[in-house]
Amino acid sequence: MKHSSSTPDTAIQALVCHTLRIGVGIALAVCLAGGSVYLVRHGGEALPDYTQFSYTDPAFHPAESTTLPGICGGVLAGSGRSLIQLGVLVLILTPVVRVLLSLLGYLRQRDWLYAAITAAVLAVILFNSFPA
Amino acid sequence: MPKVLRKFALKLGNFIFSQPMTILTFTLILLAAAYAAGLLGSLTGLGGGVVVIPVLTLGFGVDFHYAVGAALVASIATSSGAGSAYVKEGITNVRLGMFLEIATTVGAVVGAWIAVWLNNAVIAFIYSLVLLLTAAVQFRRRAVRRAVEPSPLATRLRLNGSWPQPDGSLQAYGLRNVAGGFGVMGAAGMLSGILGIGSGVLKVIAMDDLMKCPFKVSTTTSNFMMGVTACASAVVYVQRGVITPGIAFPVMAGVLAGALTGARLLKRLDVRLLRKVFAVAVLGVALNMMYMALAGKF
Repeated sequence: MKHSSSTPDTAIQALVCHTLRIGVGIALAVCLAGGSVYLVRHGGEALPDYTQFSYTDPAFHPAESTTLPGICGGVLAGSGRSLIQLGVLVLILTPVVRVLLSLLGYLRQRDWLYAAITAAVLAVILFNSFPA
Repeated sequence: MPKVLRKFALKLGNFIFSQPMTILTFTLILLAAAYAAGLLGSLTGLGGGVVVIPVLTLGFGVDFHYAVGAALVASIATSSGAGSAYVKEGITNVRLGMFLEIATTVGAVVGAWIAVWLNNAVIAFIYSLVLLLTAAVQFRRRAVRRAVEPSPLATRLRLNGSWPQPDGSLQAYGLRNVAGGFGVMGAAGMLSGILGIGSGVLKVIAMDDLMKCPFKVSTTTSNFMMGVTACASAVVYVQRGVITPGIAFPVMAGVLAGALTGARLLKRLDVRLLRKVFAVAVLGVALNMMYMALAGKF
């Protein structure tokens, strides 16, 4: 990857580009590993019923794929499904890290306007991801 | 078709569909479909989620809530996968993207909370409306625009930019109607929170029509924003259980591979015909889905 000029904007663009690439690579690797385990163990089983969904029935919200402690516990126990969810979490985290790194970039350039804008975006995402 | 051949095809079809579907077959079919979705999504600029939803709901009879969760995963995968290529080429207006992301993320949070109150039929109806508009916009003739004077607000926010031309030079452009574009992108974020797709239609209205952004810049910038927008509601969707591993795995792997292929092909492919063919297909799916939503078949 070549970035001939080194204006502030291209520096941030290079940062963004690297973040996206590395994040997507890790997410895909984790997801493929989890998917392989899942297929080897359960590939021959009949398809689970995906035609129904319920917000209230706890059977639709197994901890091993919906909560962070549940997913981590599942990964340590070698569950393929939890490993897939971990890959999904890395995928979700990639754009968030991109926003965070851009924020640091703008702060370093003393571009207060865009530091504030980026911080606002980050605040909205975090606010919604960690409900009080 | 000769009678014998038809009989054979019928028997073969019956045999295939009489077998109970295993997790392995489901995964392989979905993997292939997701690859096609990622490819088409990045070539047409609509994102992978638009194709994933009908494949799951109409093709496999999957509940709409799961399909929306899968579309969300597909949106983030397309955005990040194709985004790294676009940003590198310097077409994406990163500052414009950051600024509009305030609107899209707030919209996505609101949309994700509205989504809890919607049943399958309502989600399907909203989705079919978005598809109808999408098809209409694809057929619209795009006028070649001259550079416009930037509005004072766009200048104060330093949103105006420049983008590389085929001959290697940089062409500057100014942006108009920042407030209008900001408002419509808020609505686009809300649709993303409800449907999981990056709504390309509203992007066209907000960035192309209102803000007068050059088409290539608006397409890549909107793709860039899609990932962050989807993230704003994705964690809530994981907690609700609608992003389920058995579906997320083939969708994520397939869409990512498709989006990477698409981003590479886009540079040397004339996609005008593909866009027209795709628009007809989108129209068909939209009508089918609207009929099923209104007839209460979901």
